[in-house]
Amino acid sequence: MAGRPPLWRRAFDAVEKPLGDALASGARSGAFADVLAIAVRVNRRAQREVERRTRRALHLVNLPAATDVRRLSQQVTDLQRQVRSLERELQAATDRKPRKPPARR
Amino acid sequence: MAVSLTPDELLRRVEGDVRRAIRRGRNGLRYAAGTDRPKVGLTPKDVVWRRDKAEVWRYRSEGRTGSVPPVRSDRPAPVRVRYAPPVLVVHSLVSRSYVLDLHPRNSAVRFLLGAGLDVMLLDWGVADAVEAENTLETYADGYLPAAIDAAREAAGTDDVTLLGYCFGGVLSLLGVARHPDLPVRNLAVMATPVDYSGMRALTGLIREGRLDPDELVDETGNVPPEAIENAFRLLRPTGDLASYATLWQNLWNDEYVEGYQAMAQWTRDHVPFPGATFRQTVEQLVRDNALVDGTLRLGGRTVDLGAITVPFLNVMAEYDHIVPIDAAQPLTALVGSEDVTELRLKAGHVGLVASRTAAKVTLPQIAGWIAGHSGRVEG
Repeated sequence: MAGRPPLWRRAFDAVEKPLGDALASGARSGAFADVLAIAVRVNRRAQREVERRTRRALHLVNLPAATDVRRLSQQVTDLQRQVRSLERELQAATDRKPRKPPARR
Repeated sequence: MAVSLTPDELLRRVEGDVRRAIRRGRNGLRYAAGTDRPKVGLTPKDVVWRRDKAEVWRYRSEGRTGSVPPVRSDRPAPVRVRYAPPVLVVHSLVSRSYVLDLHPRNSAVRFLLGAGLDVMLLDWGVADAVEAENTLETYADGYLPAAIDAAREAAGTDDVTLLGYCFGGVLSLLGVARHPDLPVRNLAVMATPVDYSGMRALTGLIREGRLDPDELVDETGNVPPEAIENAFRLLRPTGDLASYATLWQNLWNDEYVEGYQAMAQWTRDHVPFPGATFRQTVEQLVRDNALVDGTLRLGGRTVDLGAITVPFLNVMAEYDHIVPIDAAQPLTALVGSEDVTELRLKAGHVGLVASRTAAKVTLPQIAGWIAGHSGRVEG
């Protein structure tokens, strides 16, 4: 039904549209991009710092930290990549190999 | 203006309002409780090829591997495949492919099947640390040619029609440009960016070097889905609010709520973007605008879009806030095809493939172009 929208919706649109445009334009500005870039960096640095401290504490009581898990996970990833690469080589070798003619009886 | 109502009319109106209020309450409770998760990607399909996480799905058509059941669909059941070669849809790397088969009443896949096309979809799966080193070459030189071969083999045809959507369009372009001998009869792309200077809103932060690509990559080596979602959200900061308002307005409408839930699920369901591909995209496509300048180098060779000579369709969405017309339009002049068609459709980025407009306006034109550039299947 394409009737006229209810009053609350018209009021909402009257506020949302200009507000949305203003916010979108602000989000495209250089100043916002600078702030966002700083926020991303600060967040990463804070995460690294928290990780460093918790790692020290966890290692003190002989428990693995996120970095240890990450290292192990990286090793598994490397192994998976090697398996993939071997699979490809095997497939390519199988494709290259000439098929034996059927044995004569 | 005074409106006079007879008692009967008044009663009917009150009854209607009460019924709506009840439905609104019921749908609102279901939505809030999250008990009614939408089922997406329901069109029956078979996996015809798989490599690592990438898969090619072939959707079932009548007279092939079984008919498509008309599950809760008000669309007629798809007809027999009437055109060849098959259409291989190449999906983007950052989102889930079920947007193309969102809901039985809102499915681009079902529409194309209904138009008599043999539809296949190249789905990339969900990238994790193993895919972090995948480059544009991995996709354009490795997966894509293999998927095309698998699609041909499954359909028993000599070639395919490629239909790339968004970044899937970029991968299709790179694949065909780098391998002009690929068995591709037609190439169609939808909402595909080539001129990244036309995408300043989305790429501003990385284009001007405020952030390096590595700063957006997480410990798996990929760009996390939250970063992608937030970037899209910044394009329309009040978009979520507006969509909630529309939901409230239509909460009484079961069909609307079902469709809304499916779309809302998809918009919050992005996948990680492989880190190495992201670095190449930022450095070459975004910062150097290398696709437009003709300076894109992959695997030691320059990519020349002019090497694409097959019939070509460039579909753009006029209200696309992610890939604006300015980012997609230059592509038409860059390909070397003689048979080039440009379609500007009144839709948004997602609306091109998943909306009421899609079924009425965009998909019929795309299906029409593909059918017109395909052969008829006898029988």
